[in-house]
Amino acid sequence: MKIGLLSNTNMDFVVRQLRQGGTALSVYEPEGYGNELGMLLDGDSSYHAFAPEITFIIEDLMELLGHDLDLCNAEAKVESWFIEAESALRTDSIYYISDAYLWGPELDVVQESGRKAALEQIWQKRLESCVLRHANVRILPYRRMIEKLGEEAAFSLKMWYMGRILLSGEAQKRLCACILETVETETRTPRKVLLLDLDNTLWGGLAGEALQDPVKLSEEHTGLAYKNLQRVILQMQRQGVLLGIVSKNNEEDAMEILTGHPHMILRPQCFAVKKINWKQKHENILEIAKELNLGEDSFVFFDDSPAERALVKELLPEVAVPDFPEKAEDLAPAMIKIYKKYFAKPVLTGEDLEKTAQYAANAKRNELKNAASNFEEYLRQLQITLGRVEPGLFSGRMAQLVNKTNQFNLTTKRYTQLQLQQMLEDKEKRIYLYRSADRFGDNGVIAVVIVDTSGEIPVVEEFAMSCRVMGRRLEYAIMTDVEQDIKTAGFRCLRGLYLPTKKNKPVAELYRQLGYRPIQEQPDGGTVYEIEMTQIPERVYYVVKEAEADERKSNCVD
Amino acid sequence: MKEKVIALIEEILKVPSGTVTEETMIEDVEQWDSLAHVMIIGALEEKLGISIPLEEAIELTGMKELLEKIG
Repeated sequence: MKIGLLSNTNMDFVVRQLRQGGTALSVYEPEGYGNELGMLLDGDSSYHAFAPEITFIIEDLMELLGHDLDLCNAEAKVESWFIEAESALRTDSIYYISDAYLWGPELDVVQESGRKAALEQIWQKRLESCVLRHANVRILPYRRMIEKLGEEAAFSLKMWYMGRILLSGEAQKRLCACILETVETETRTPRKVLLLDLDNTLWGGLAGEALQDPVKLSEEHTGLAYKNLQRVILQMQRQGVLLGIVSKNNEEDAMEILTGHPHMILRPQCFAVKKINWKQKHENILEIAKELNLGEDSFVFFDDSPAERALVKELLPEVAVPDFPEKAEDLAPAMIKIYKKYFAKPVLTGEDLEKTAQYAANAKRNELKNAASNFEEYLRQLQITLGRVEPGLFSGRMAQLVNKTNQFNLTTKRYTQLQLQQMLEDKEKRIYLYRSADRFGDNGVIAVVIVDTSGEIPVVEEFAMSCRVMGRRLEYAIMTDVEQDIKTAGFRCLRGLYLPTKKNKPVAELYRQLGYRPIQEQPDGGTVYEIEMTQIPERVYYVVKEAEADERKSNCVD
Repeated sequence: MKEKVIALIEEILKVPSGTVTEETMIEDVEQWDSLAHVMIIGALEEKLGISIPLEEAIELTGMKELLEKIG
């Protein structure tokens, strides 16, 4: 991984520390310092020759303002910095730009107590709008780092005078750690589900004995430590972490606390799945994996009992089992570490924010599946709709589908931000992005198909679908829609490619099921399939196209 | 205190223990460039509470002088 660090102050020692860090990182060595815009704007600079995959821009606001604390002037300077910087962004690099912490000796004699915050806010607003406009720009939480360390420990006037080094040794160390953590977050696949025990984990004491001895969950002492742990978990849930309960209790006792206890932060609807019973925990976890259609490596298991943890570790080695803190006051900090280590994502999409509702709806669908007498009846009752959306408007989600889908992925080709951008602009690539809903709720954008039409016969070079909606014959509806469009464009045949991986067995027979015939085996184990438009068979599926569904709805109103 | 100062300097320079002695001259240690020098002056203050005035810090040539200033 190649990274670069640009700043308007001297960050050379941070660069040196990163280079000596013994990591697999390759770090750009800047020429001189303080020339961050020059490096960005000059296409021939050593920075562009190095072409970092992630560029960190640490901008000192006071330097940028030239110590002019006038709000109007600040607006103008910040605006012009961003206009220049934005004009020079490479599409193949991800950028982390620092948020602002204003520091300078004169601030201590400024009478107006709100001036510092007002100036920082100007930077913040402009930075946020930059992030909205550029999918590859993110915010580096620099300000939070300074605040946690404290201004007096974070800056050194003497070092500033000696070499325009703004940050103290300790602050530089933390900045290094923050950069390494960010790189890690950008490169790993985050886990999806946090499985929680109840007794002595989400609250102190035992639900089953609550009548004699109330559980510890309150606004004080140990009870508050548990409440704060729940606050951290709730925030994680809001940011797309799915929660599950795996607990040995009488369900009735536990539910009484979950629904009725005045200090519970996590209520039943916060959990995508609940296994409150006396079965072995690893069995429950396997059931959950099946119900949510996720691999074992999607789970983190949090339980106070060393015996339960050891058993899960032993029997389900791919489930992450972090240590449980010994002291109640360490509960919330331990959970923060778990979030950063296993769940944090560089960007949250709209999909992340609605995840729990989607998975909980899935659980309900499974109930319907059990109730419906046969599979086709079940699909009919689901009232599934399917519609195309404009790929350019959902490029973040498209990247997620292409790069993170393992099971329903015919080729498992991964693309960089730049490649995806180029494909969106390429007239010879037809990109189909689909969303789907049913009577239990909206599933959001769930599938992408990319067809390359540059050759004589168009080829489906990418087909990925979210595992949330697998097993509903949506793929039949999707390919039928794609084939229609390709046919309308005047092509007589369509080809599809299947490249086997460890994880995509579920779709190994897809093209055959769709009526395609294999025409060529590739040396890499892949198979090319083909179908003639006139030979497309009748396919049985129960999916209504979105426009038709809307029509039907308006008919009902009439 | 001398040992602590030397250990801190060696840590910042990322050199093996024993590289820096009471007699070491700054120009003789490759890693002790101007950037490392600023970090050393900063760390002495941050970690050990030793404050060397700015102008003297810039003119330092070796360990002997440095240790004299610390007293």
